[in-house]
Amino acid sequence: MDPEEFVLVRDMVRSLATRHGVTSADEVKPSTRTAAQQALDDTGLADLRRTSPPAATAQECALLAEEHGRRPLTTSLLGTVLLAPELLRLLGADTSPGTPTIALTRELRFPGRAPADLVAWDSEGADSALCVTAEGTVSRVELGPAAPSTDLVRAVRAVQSDTPVEVVGRLAPADQLRWQAYALVVVTAELVGAAGSFVEQAVQYARDRRQYGQSIGSFQAVQHLLADATVLVEACTSVTRYAAWCLDNEPPERALAAARAAKAEVNSSALEAVYAGMQVFGGIAQTWEHIAHLYLRKVRLGATLLATTADLLPALAVPEVTR
Amino acid sequence: MTDAPLDFGDPADLDRLRREFRAWLAEHPLPERQSGEPVPVFLRRWHRLLHSGGWVGLDVPERYGGRGLTALHQVAISDELGACRAPGVPRIGYLAHALLEFGSEEQRLKFLPRMLAGDEVWCQGFSEPGAGSDLAGMSTFAERHDDHYTVRGQKLWTSYAQYSGLCLLLARTDRSAPAHKSISAFVLPLDRPGVTVRPLRAANGDDEFCELFLDDVRVEESERIGAEGVGWALAMTTVSYERNALDTGHISKYGLLVERLRRHAAERQGSLPDGLLSRIGRCVVDYEVLVAHARRRTAERLAGQVAGPESSVDKLLMTRTEQRLYDTALEVFPAELSGQGGALFGDYLYSRAASVYGGTSQIQRNIIAKRILHLPSNG
Repeated sequence: MDPEEFVLVRDMVRSLATRHGVTSADEVKPSTRTAAQQALDDTGLADLRRTSPPAATAQECALLAEEHGRRPLTTSLLGTVLLAPELLRLLGADTSPGTPTIALTRELRFPGRAPADLVAWDSEGADSALCVTAEGTVSRVELGPAAPSTDLVRAVRAVQSDTPVEVVGRLAPADQLRWQAYALVVVTAELVGAAGSFVEQAVQYARDRRQYGQSIGSFQAVQHLLADATVLVEACTSVTRYAAWCLDNEPPERALAAARAAKAEVNSSALEAVYAGMQVFGGIAQTWEHIAHLYLRKVRLGATLLATTADLLPALAVPEVTR
Repeated sequence: MTDAPLDFGDPADLDRLRREFRAWLAEHPLPERQSGEPVPVFLRRWHRLLHSGGWVGLDVPERYGGRGLTALHQVAISDELGACRAPGVPRIGYLAHALLEFGSEEQRLKFLPRMLAGDEVWCQGFSEPGAGSDLAGMSTFAERHDDHYTVRGQKLWTSYAQYSGLCLLLARTDRSAPAHKSISAFVLPLDRPGVTVRPLRAANGDDEFCELFLDDVRVEESERIGAEGVGWALAMTTVSYERNALDTGHISKYGLLVERLRRHAAERQGSLPDGLLSRIGRCVVDYEVLVAHARRRTAERLAGQVAGPESSVDKLLMTRTEQRLYDTALEVFPAELSGQGGALFGDYLYSRAASVYGGTSQIQRNIIAKRILHLPSNG
């Protein structure tokens, strides 16, 4: 996209977030979900990553995912706009009907050898889910009933074990690497947006909240907590943006290594930044009504999404060639 | 700035410069440090060799002996040197920038070409025993006479002063004005009567640091850099260049150690405890973060963003990477700890200084809180 066009698209997501971002857990209702998803559909972004070559670069998609993460949104920008269309694009099946999202294992990891034990992740507005097995076979599965999620804004649907599995195609080995790198980058970018925005809100609160007759942001203990959180968010931002750029410019092996490093950094640092922000908010952040636990839930669950720290660190310790 | 796409790649001219430099390096083997040769003497030989190829002061205008290119070109050279295990570029960038920004034309023409060529070695007289983090609280005083000053006081941490000819000195010139407006900067030749240099032995055994005693030292008015009272602004410029962790070739040095750890992990696969494998993985992640962060800063500068207080973020990230890396390396190579300790142990000791020199980690956090987050001051 040219820069002006990207700013336009980014501002669409930004205004979606302003209008439909929930400010409290009780606002998450079927009616608000439907209205928000309709607003996402109205943006006409569905084809961003569906055509070849794609209209948006991986870095642009990552920036949009980051923007989407800045507010608690029930919309499936990740599942139905950024992720599933990329799979269809890599398969060359860009005329495929319907609005699929992606299927992950119940533990929210990439599926294994067989399309079994699945959930449809980020399923708001979706009518099917695409499952990629470890061998690269992509199949379409039907959606079961709504499933609970600790991330209260993220819609997840069950996939029944007896659901019919329709094979859509098979990813070439290089495309399988690209797919994994891209999926890691997109989910990681959303977590970076969430942590960054929450820390900014905590900074604003530290300026406003007064104790001992002065704003708590004037206390060095609070300042250093927020400074450290800021450094962590900057680290997350740099490594995730770079991984996205690698997808656009480097071979898939390098892009996947960069994406894994980004996910590993964000798993721990985004979470730590959210903890710092919650500490600054103090007691109010421990209530159901406050927005803090929506961020905490997203980022905590996000740290297990696709790849955990325990999965990633031992793998990253060994050079790629010997893996 | 961070919400628009950035180009993390090298611009074509940087790539060309890197290739030219590699070709030059291939024809000019790295000098070997002779036994008993003090580090700064060895570094000066290296400095002159680099200068002979035109590889010093790339971002300094040509009329002062530089190449008139940008800071990014200088970074690329540091990076190349780190990657081939060469000693770094001479640490003069921050001094050169102080002169460029605050010196008179006459001073720039007089000092910069000789500084870049390695004909004259400089050190930095900023910190004092009573003025470390609180640099503005310095007490060295330069008393004004008609056309000269008499300086009295003591400086500390003036690296390699015993091998230097000139010192960029800060001293108070006004006893009544507020600290930030009463400091001036001078060029002090260290062979002046009244100057005593005493080396201090550092924790790793090196005698890098020195104390500087100034007993009624005469400094000419023409040796003052900038107007009276601009010393603080000069110091802040200097320190922010010095702090620029991403400009120093450190990153490629870390990269070499990270690769060494990974090779060891691959060779010992299966026999290395899981915990240690994860710690190596963590160092790989830290390193990837730092590489990505440095490239982002480069891309931001190319997109026109001016360097500011975010260098404190960079320094904290560099410190995190360095300290965790050397700590892990000792865990992976325990033999480094036996006897008097190996080379890696020396580097480990030096890594502990990373959170102190160039402004402590606590000072960096203060800067982030005040100048990036705009949090209020106490009271």
